[in-house]
Amino acid sequence: MNSVVLRYTNLMVITLIVLSLFSFALAYLFPGHPIENLTGLSTEQLASGYQHAFNYASGESLLVQYWHYMAALFNGNWGFSFHTGLPLYEEIKHVLPASIELSAYALIISVLVGIPLGFLAALNHHKTTDYVLLSVSVLGYSIPVFWLALLAIMGFSLQLGWFPLSGRISLFYEVPVETGYIVLDILLSDIPNKRSALLDVVQHSILPTLSIAVVTTTLIIRITRRSVIETLDTEFVQAAYARGLSTYQVLVRHGIRNALIPIFPLLAMQFTTLLTNAMIVETIFSWPGLGNWLIQAIYHQDYPAIRAGMLTVSALVVVFTMSIELTIRLMDPRRRRVRRGTI
Amino acid sequence: MAQFNLYQEEYHPSPWQYTWIAFKENHIAVVGLFCLLFFVFITLFSPIIAPFDPTYQTTGDLLIPPAWFDNGGISHLLGTDALGRDMLSRVLYGCRMTFGISVLLVLLTMLIGVGIGAVAGMSKGFRSSFVNHTLDSIKAIPTLLIAIIIVAILGTGLVNSMWAIMLALIPQFVHQTREFISNEMQKEYVMASKLDGASNIQLFFRTILPNMGEVLVVQCTLALSISVLDISALGFLNLGAQGSLPELGHMLSEGIEVAYLAPWTIAIPGGAIFLMMISINLVGDGLRSALRNRLLHS
Repeated sequence: MNSVVLRYTNLMVITLIVLSLFSFALAYLFPGHPIENLTGLSTEQLASGYQHAFNYASGESLLVQYWHYMAALFNGNWGFSFHTGLPLYEEIKHVLPASIELSAYALIISVLVGIPLGFLAALNHHKTTDYVLLSVSVLGYSIPVFWLALLAIMGFSLQLGWFPLSGRISLFYEVPVETGYIVLDILLSDIPNKRSALLDVVQHSILPTLSIAVVTTTLIIRITRRSVIETLDTEFVQAAYARGLSTYQVLVRHGIRNALIPIFPLLAMQFTTLLTNAMIVETIFSWPGLGNWLIQAIYHQDYPAIRAGMLTVSALVVVFTMSIELTIRLMDPRRRRVRRGTI
Repeated sequence: MAQFNLYQEEYHPSPWQYTWIAFKENHIAVVGLFCLLFFVFITLFSPIIAPFDPTYQTTGDLLIPPAWFDNGGISHLLGTDALGRDMLSRVLYGCRMTFGISVLLVLLTMLIGVGIGAVAGMSKGFRSSFVNHTLDSIKAIPTLLIAIIIVAILGTGLVNSMWAIMLALIPQFVHQTREFISNEMQKEYVMASKLDGASNIQLFFRTILPNMGEVLVVQCTLALSISVLDISALGFLNLGAQGSLPELGHMLSEGIEVAYLAPWTIAIPGGAIFLMMISINLVGDGLRSALRNRLLHS
């Protein structure tokens, strides 16, 4: 077991190093002066006093520069944004929770809806329920998420007026930022109208969450369905039937657990899809998250911000995916190799 | 397994014919196939079908609704947009651009991906694991982020967004190819050709590649749907197609400004992307289940 943990840690560290190297290389690839792209400060500013904060050793070899870059990275010294002039570390700390919140809601909803429906489809394999669910899922993952979000805005916000158009919370409520997760913040704060503030947050998050969740749900339905069908075809299920167990007993004791195991690593691989969709939906709903922030950064040609954002997002994905795979690998000794997804 | 009686069979269908027989039984998938062929037709012949030039602005005819509305006209079947350009022609050209570029991208990506995958799959040790780890790192970055980075380096534009999508699609092909080849290498027919003295290149082109067609076709449909979605998403975010280029995602983002006045300016391009995606996914699904079932029914 130790060797497995070691191997995965090794893999993760190497991947992260490759990503950090790549982000360092971006400073040279982006237009403009590398030191400006790394620090977000103009050379004049650097000359007049900021030097103590950024010791990038611009005269030294690339390797030494990379070493200094990593040291600054670990000190929380990520440079400044071209556009706002604020420290990037603080900015990302501010926008990341909003994105995590949105993706987490969407993921929870899609798991809660998708896995039961997937089981339903698989248990009714080759029957009407199965076909209906399959066709709905084809519709669901064919729909472009930005179009869905626009239609939702047109329908539910403009025509019916049920949900607010954009943002995370109405401007009437002043919630002090502590954790960045707005629901937590409201619960922790001592503003007078907590209940209505929470309701407002829920109203704001329904449309973006649902637009992201549609695609993820349909993917989960398909993954679950395939996995359950494959599990029910195996010999140990046949053996359980042969021992005289009822369908219910077979499903509960042997089916569900074995079917769920392959689902989670495949889910982890859909994490990038989820993030991409979240980024697009954030820009449409003006959700103050990382995706929206990155898109704004590209419109403003804010190279330090793009570099820092890319590093954050990809590190997040790597750590998340790898930890899920490691957990699964430790739980399930049958998995010798990483399996690639089929849906 | 195949359960035919050798002496009663009139003829022996090839594997592709088996696949077609199984595919035909799924009627929805066949509808998807016809839809896809329709898009191929549009892609090839849109200059002939389209009634107007997609960039020609009729100054008097701004925001005319589609023909089935009361104040719509027959000359602009799907209405016009905020600059007085004919929606029907724009959608036709848009389908051509989005779909055609996607097909082109997928073909290019397939060539590159299969090439790298073959090298990685036939070699062992450091080279193989190096390719694997590099690709895993690339896969960790969401497509949109890769696109943002490439656009930041090279500037916005359709061609630059194509590079981004290619970079994002390649790892999948490489993984598929690599896995397939390293599985096949252990089989006996490969060993037989090896004993006949085939070099690695001959082994790949003559022995393994003919068996890989189906895997590649399925992977291509997947990649096609991803690339259609990504091209239009980048166009929508103004990172891809620029200016007056008729690209479906870009048209959608132009339509937002007048969406409340003229809902058809976002309904029609979005619907076209949706239909394209459905037909690609239906064909892909149909192919996958046909390949899975083709020996069951024979």
